[in-house]
Amino acid sequence: MQPSHLFPIGVVVLLAACGGGDQAEDNAPALVIGEGEAVSATVLHQMPTPNELFVQVKTLSGQGDRSYLNPASQADRYATLRSRAIAFGVYSTDLVYASTFQLNVEVARYYLATKKLAESLGLTTVFTDAEFIRLESNLTRGDSLEIISNEVYMNAYEKLEEADMGPVLTLVLIGGWVESMHLMMVHGAELDEVVTRQRVAEQRSTLEHLIALSESESSDPDVAELRYRLSGILDLYDSMNTQRMPHKGRAASGRMVLGDDILTEVTAERYQAIHAAISTLRAELILTDDQPNA
Amino acid sequence: MTSPTPDLNMTRYLLLIPILLLLGLAQAGEALAQSTCTDYHKFNCQRAGDKRWSQNGQSKSASIQVGRETELNIIIYSGQDYRISVCHDTKVLGEDLAIRLVEKVRVPREQTDGAPDPIIDEDGNRTGTTRTVEDPERMFVEVEKVLWDNTEHDMAMEVEFSCASTKRIAVQIMAAGSTGKPRRDKQFDIGCVGILIEHMVTPDLGF
Repeated sequence: MQPSHLFPIGVVVLLAACGGGDQAEDNAPALVIGEGEAVSATVLHQMPTPNELFVQVKTLSGQGDRSYLNPASQADRYATLRSRAIAFGVYSTDLVYASTFQLNVEVARYYLATKKLAESLGLTTVFTDAEFIRLESNLTRGDSLEIISNEVYMNAYEKLEEADMGPVLTLVLIGGWVESMHLMMVHGAELDEVVTRQRVAEQRSTLEHLIALSESESSDPDVAELRYRLSGILDLYDSMNTQRMPHKGRAASGRMVLGDDILTEVTAERYQAIHAAISTLRAELILTDDQPNA
Repeated sequence: MTSPTPDLNMTRYLLLIPILLLLGLAQAGEALAQSTCTDYHKFNCQRAGDKRWSQNGQSKSASIQVGRETELNIIIYSGQDYRISVCHDTKVLGEDLAIRLVEKVRVPREQTDGAPDPIIDEDGNRTGTTRTVEDPERMFVEVEKVLWDNTEHDMAMEVEFSCASTKRIAVQIMAAGSTGKPRRDKQFDIGCVGILIEHMVTPDLGF
């Protein structure tokens, strides 16, 4: 075949590639959610960063306490991928807690502990020297510190997502959630009992969310085991009476209030049962690999 | 018909090169658009003017397909105000997006088998009698409650609200695609959407 004959054929092929094939005349779908053609939805989950919760605890209690945190000196004693991922979630949460409560010495200490674990998980670009210098130079500025540590947490989360490290990310989030609950509940003794119980009751939403989020990784044995443990805590929440009632009026800010008011009746027994379950699970999760029963 | 001269052939091939380059660039641009969806909300969604709003860590961007629902599940905390704004690639996804905020609620369901169980003898044979097992298993099912729908609010692309009780909500989005143009293959009906979430502690107004 002469080269000159190839030219029109090539143009035809290119034009066909530009066209829409046999779907070119399709009509646009109706702009209605939940109806129309049965195309399965793409479902994404995002976990809130711990600072949102700690800001609430801080508003209620004011003071932070470094003795509540997992000792930073233990950071290099987590050897397996499972324990490193969980510990990374725990220490990241401790870092955000220390920043929220302006425990400045602890901020630097927990930054380095978190950095060490991040590197062992392959997250080398999140905890840079420049970031540490930025953190150090803001140690006396609480608000900036909180923003920086939160950014570090979010960057680590995004890197794990980008690297498609599903089971690791799930273990990180589980470690972070358990540590958040632990830190909130150890503050409970200082707070108003009713308020504390209601705050703990509200965490039912985050627990349900975490269990739903981790479902896609439930074939991983480590994730499956922890989901089972979390389901046990959810059972405790399920046994509580919950009332829903329409909110009356607008919020103090003048904005509309989204959805119902939810009131969960948390008895002292249920509160203690949840506290005990969280404490037991947390003690197991922070156990280093060189300790007995690890 | 006479064959074109060799010079004319060469000219045609030279003309073909920029066409191929342009098409290659278009394809690369499409691929680049997908890979850059990750940070779409950071650069394309308009932040609130009020400096009291802080960007929420649950903000996210994704590539979505025309006609296919996409939902982002998040947590909203009591005592906080939220602003959720959505930005998108209008050239691919069209001017308007349908947006809903739905609450995910786990509700108990008393589940019983209903049908009586047959009584079986020692040899595993049915005796012909039955019994109803009084052992209802308490199960939970997840239901969705629509809290806000932009089709009832002039297709608004942002909403501000206050949260009185902590909730699991999903931001559900669907695009109809560009109107007035024929649809292309589904692989080209994918564009970026950014969901920017901002929050602040619910402020008290007045004296």
